[in-house]
Amino acid sequence: MTTDATTGSADPQPLVPLHCLLRGEAGPPRQAVLPTGTPVWVLTRHADVRQALAHPALGRASLYAPDAPPTVLTPNILDDPSSILNSDGPGHQAIRRTVQRAFTPRAIERWRPWVAGVVRELVDGLVASGSPAEVVESLTKPLPVRVISRLMELEGLDTDRLGYWSDHALSTTAYSAEEIAAAIREFGEFGHQLVLERRKNPGEDLVSSLVRAADQTGEMTEAQITSLTIGLVIAGHETTMTSFGNALVYLLDPRRAEHPGAAAGAWRRIGEDPAAAVAATEQILRTVPLGDRTNAPGQLRRATADVEIGGVVIPAGAVVAADTTAANADPEVYPPGPLDLFAPLGTPSLTFGAGPHHCLGAWLARMELELGLHHLARALPGLRLATPVDRIEWRTGLLTRSPLRLEVAW
Amino acid sequence: MSDAPQLVVAVDRVRCIGSGLCARTAPADLVLSPDGRAAPARPATEGSAELTEAAEMCPVEAITVRDAATGELIAPAW
Ligand code: SF4
Repeated sequence: MTTDATTGSADPQPLVPLHCLLRGEAGPPRQAVLPTGTPVWVLTRHADVRQALAHPALGRASLYAPDAPPTVLTPNILDDPSSILNSDGPGHQAIRRTVQRAFTPRAIERWRPWVAGVVRELVDGLVASGSPAEVVESLTKPLPVRVISRLMELEGLDTDRLGYWSDHALSTTAYSAEEIAAAIREFGEFGHQLVLERRKNPGEDLVSSLVRAADQTGEMTEAQITSLTIGLVIAGHETTMTSFGNALVYLLDPRRAEHPGAAAGAWRRIGEDPAAAVAATEQILRTVPLGDRTNAPGQLRRATADVEIGGVVIPAGAVVAADTTAANADPEVYPPGPLDLFAPLGTPSLTFGAGPHHCLGAWLARMELELGLHHLARALPGLRLATPVDRIEWRTGLLTRSPLRLEVAW
Repeated sequence: MSDAPQLVVAVDRVRCIGSGLCARTAPADLVLSPDGRAAPARPATEGSAELTEAAEMCPVEAITVRDAATGELIAPAW
C-alpha cells in the first residue's frame, strides 16, 4: 500500500534526480508566499541562513502559537507542538543536553567498527546475490534501520511497520490528514510503550539513557520523551536512506561527469581511498538535497522580535524560510562551476542546519554514508545503474524524495 | 584558588554551528556572539565542571580547554 501511495510511476513527466534540481540563487532576503498563502521571507545566502538558524529571536515554537499564520497544508510529525523540534530556548536546551552526549563526534566515532561491519555484511550479501541487483532493499534501507535499531535496542522491530509509520510521519501529499494522524498515533503508542519498558528495565541503549536523563532533570514531559524517542527512530533511518540512495544516483549517473569516464573514475577512487570517501560524502551532502521542498522554500522559523538579517528588518511575527540548499551553493562561500567531489569543504555546509536545532544525528549520518559508499565502491568498482536515470521510480509525496528501487549492475 | 591552573578556552569559529549549548551550560566562560558563533567570555579561567561539560557536549567539537602554561588539552578529554 505504501508503495502505491508513494510511487512516482503515475507522473506523466519523469522526475529529475535531486542533484539536477534547480536551486534558488543566493541573494538578498526576498519575499514569497507559502502554499498556505502565508507570506514568508526567504533567506538564501550562507551567512544569512546561518545567522537566522542560530538567532534566539527566530524560533520554531512561535510557528505553532495561537496567533501563528498557517504554514502547512497537511500537518505531519514535524508539526507536533510537543516535539523537541518545536520547542525553543532553555526548555529546548535542557532536552538537547539529555541526548547530545550520545551524538558528539567522539561518541559516534566509537561505533565506527561496528557500523563498518554491518556495511560489509550488507555489501557482501549484495555481491553474492549477483548482477543485476536492487540496492535500496539490500543496502540503503537496511543499513540505517540496523544502525538505529542497535543504538536504541529495537531488535525484532517490524521493519514494514516502521516503513508505514515513517512514510506517514513525513508525508506532505501522499496521505490524508486522518491517515497521517492515525499512523502517528500508533507510532506514538509504540514509542510510549518503549519508554515505559526502558524506565522499568533500563539498559545501555539510547532510549534508556534518554529516559534516565529526562527523569533525573525532570524537565521533560512524558509527551516530549515519547516524541523524541519516535523522532530518533524516524530521523535515524529515513534521512540516511534518502541521502544514500540519492548519492548513488548522483555518483552512478553516467551523464553527470564533464567527460566520459570521469564518473567511473570518481566511483573507483571512493572505493580505493577512505579519505576520498570522507571528502565526497561532505560534498554530496552539500550539493544533493533530500527532497523537492514543495511544502516550503526552506526551514521555517518565526520572529518573536524585530530581527535584522542580510540588511532587511524582519518584523516580529513574520515567518522566515532559511533555504539551506541555496546557501549550500552560495558562490561567496563555495567555488561556483563544476563540482570537485574530493575538495575539502572549508566552510561546513548547512545541510544539517545550524543553531539550537542543528541535526542531532549529523555525525552518525555522515559515518553511515561515508562507510556505505566506500565499501560498496571497494567491492564493486565497476558498479553502474542498470536503469536509465529518467526511468527511476521515486518515493514521492513525502518531505524527502529518494529512489523506491534502484537497479544496479556490475 | 591561586594555585588552580590557568586555563585557556578556544572556539573554532569555522566549525561552530551556533547551537548555544555551551553558553547555556557555562555562561561564565562562553558567550554566543550576535553572528551566531560562540566565543570565550574571558582570556583565562580556572575552569569548572560546567566548562568541561560544555566542551564535551559541543555538537561539533569546536571547543578546547587547554592549560595556559603547558598547552595540555584539559577538555574534551574522553
Ligand atoms: S556548543 Fe559548540 S557549536 Fe554550540 S555554540 Fe558552543 S561552540 Fe558553537
